[in-house]
Amino acid sequence: MLQPKLKSKVRCTDLDIGEVTKVVLDPLSHEISHIVVSMNGSGERQVAMGHVQTVTDDVVQLRAPSTDILALPPFKREDYVTTHEVEISHLEDNLHVTPGEVLVPLPDLEKNVKRRTFFMNFTHVIGFLIGLPVAYPILRFLMKPMYADFDNHWLNVGNVSKIKQEDVGVQFKYKKKVKEVYMPESEVDKNVWILRATPELLEKVYHDKDMEFRDAKGKMLWTNKKDIPYVAFSGKCPHLGCAFKWRQHKTLGQVFLCPCHLSIYDAAGKVLDGPAPRALDALPVRVSAAGDVEIIDMEFKAGTKSQIRII
Amino acid sequence: MDSKQSSSTVIPDHQPSAIEKLVAFLDERVGLKEMQAKMLNEPIPGGSRWAYVFGSILLFIFAMQALTGILLMFYYVPTADHAYASTQYIIHDVDYGWFLLGYHFWGSSAMVVCVVAHMSQVFLWGAYKKPRELLWLVGLALFGIVITFGFTGYLLPWDQRAFWATTVGVEILDKTPIVGDFIARFLKGGPTPGQMTLSRFFVLHVMILPAALMALAGLHLFLFRVAAPAGPFTGTVEEIKAKTDYFFPRQIWKDMVGMAFVFVSICALALWEPVVLLDEAAPDPGDYHPEPEWYFLFYFQLLRLKLFAGEFGQFLGAVALPVAFMVLLVALPFIDKDPERNIFKRPIALISWIAIMVVIVLFTVASVINREFLD
Repeated sequence: MLQPKLKSKVRCTDLDIGEVTKVVLDPLSHEISHIVVSMNGSGERQVAMGHVQTVTDDVVQLRAPSTDILALPPFKREDYVTTHEVEISHLEDNLHVTPGEVLVPLPDLEKNVKRRTFFMNFTHVIGFLIGLPVAYPILRFLMKPMYADFDNHWLNVGNVSKIKQEDVGVQFKYKKKVKEVYMPESEVDKNVWILRATPELLEKVYHDKDMEFRDAKGKMLWTNKKDIPYVAFSGKCPHLGCAFKWRQHKTLGQVFLCPCHLSIYDAAGKVLDGPAPRALDALPVRVSAAGDVEIIDMEFKAGTKSQIRII
Repeated sequence: MDSKQSSSTVIPDHQPSAIEKLVAFLDERVGLKEMQAKMLNEPIPGGSRWAYVFGSILLFIFAMQALTGILLMFYYVPTADHAYASTQYIIHDVDYGWFLLGYHFWGSSAMVVCVVAHMSQVFLWGAYKKPRELLWLVGLALFGIVITFGFTGYLLPWDQRAFWATTVGVEILDKTPIVGDFIARFLKGGPTPGQMTLSRFFVLHVMILPAALMALAGLHLFLFRVAAPAGPFTGTVEEIKAKTDYFFPRQIWKDMVGMAFVFVSICALALWEPVVLLDEAAPDPGDYHPEPEWYFLFYFQLLRLKLFAGEFGQFLGAVALPVAFMVLLVALPFIDKDPERNIFKRPIALISWIAIMVVIVLFTVASVINREFLD
């Protein structure tokens, strides 16, 4: 059946009663549920589509006599909103109040344009040609400060007279001068753990081998001799980079404990418990005759089994 | 139809005032009244509900975060040598600085709480299912943005809390296979957190993320309006139709009450739990025990498990688990094609949601209990 058209005549079984002035859509089915009929000047009536028998181009034929339609309550406009005032998506998709589609003519210049696809693709190409040359510079621009050379200077961190007991972790705090790109030089607080080790502990740390440190090019920087009794551990936890402490543990005795994810290491840096993937990172350390401790401040990537130096 | 006729119902028995003339002038050019009508007259199947308030509340929280954030930028300086001092200045010297900073700080917590509530509601109501898959996906992207907002904003005060949360957070990203090192350095702008990190997080926090959030929230709303609200998960078509009302006034009323409640809660927290900075950021934490913001505590505690020990365990905990969870959420509307939306007839969905919530609560509590044993 055709959909009822605005201005169509509405015909009852006995006589014409007016014309269609509005149509009402069902908000769920999106179909026309009612027509509103003008009633030739005696108010408007809302007539359900169930009353409609047939619809032709200009006539809506109802099943009921005119008295039945007139007996319906008057149409109450205030109970409705227009389709432009309500947010129901696809509401008008099914609606063809006029047979065929509503058309708008193309401007003359747009008629018979053959190369629409070409122009569309051309637009993409131009966009790509603009985007491509800037993408790499942008990436390089953002990457500039990401990789810096290692700093292999010896730093004085304090005096060994601070260490009173063997095989006990002692924190040495020190200030490191940092010059970050354009920023003024500043000092940051850092810390390193130094132990005066018994031969047993040294054996556990060095496994009877000297520990060699090389720079990024592979040149030898320093060797921690296996029998020098001072061991230095980087203050950075090899799990996820927090800072660990020296603590008394209920069952494990004195240990290095990281408060973040509860990795526990013994005095030799070996993992006793917790999620850490490797032992504490030993640093190059040397002690002068006067007892001054110097280290090379190295930091290694956390969370890896092997040591990967990042500073 | 006859929209022109209906929109011109002017009562002719008085001269239009200047404001009415202005409104009429704008309406003629912009179509304000029609736009307003369209915004307010959106049918909500089955009627308004308190469960639907979270989306509007999130929009409100974002607006307030934008306002307080812009105000904080009048004094805040994003440099390693001034960030801490300028934040202290906001807290101690600027009139109501403590309040605006406190509001911004607690607002971020409220944002996370309401995002989780909003996602839970959508999940439990089965509202992510066809035809709302894209709406769900954009929502997940917004979830990611909110989390990134929290993470980047946390660094800006440049105190010990800020520094260590970032240090550990970036180390977690570093565990991504192959690209992890690049991502970590890219975010930090170097091998360790410093000025470059602060600059990057600042730009992310005040430019990139707000722009992304506004764009995606707009898309989210658009998709929501196209798909229409899902409505309740029980009831026949007739029952739902009988209870249907428009967005205005009942749902807007409920949304407003929700917003007022959230506003008062955030203000109360800002008053009673004002932001207190720790010492200035340094690679030596002193006596401070690093800990992330409370809504990350469960994950922090999770990473303490033996299961996530060692290099492979770390990959599992830091990368595989969160990525798998997000992939699962992304795939959800495409895996779960059963049109049944009633949560009481979707046992797997219900049990999964309860399990996730229980894990979050238990692990958060565990991490708080753990604090006592660290000193």
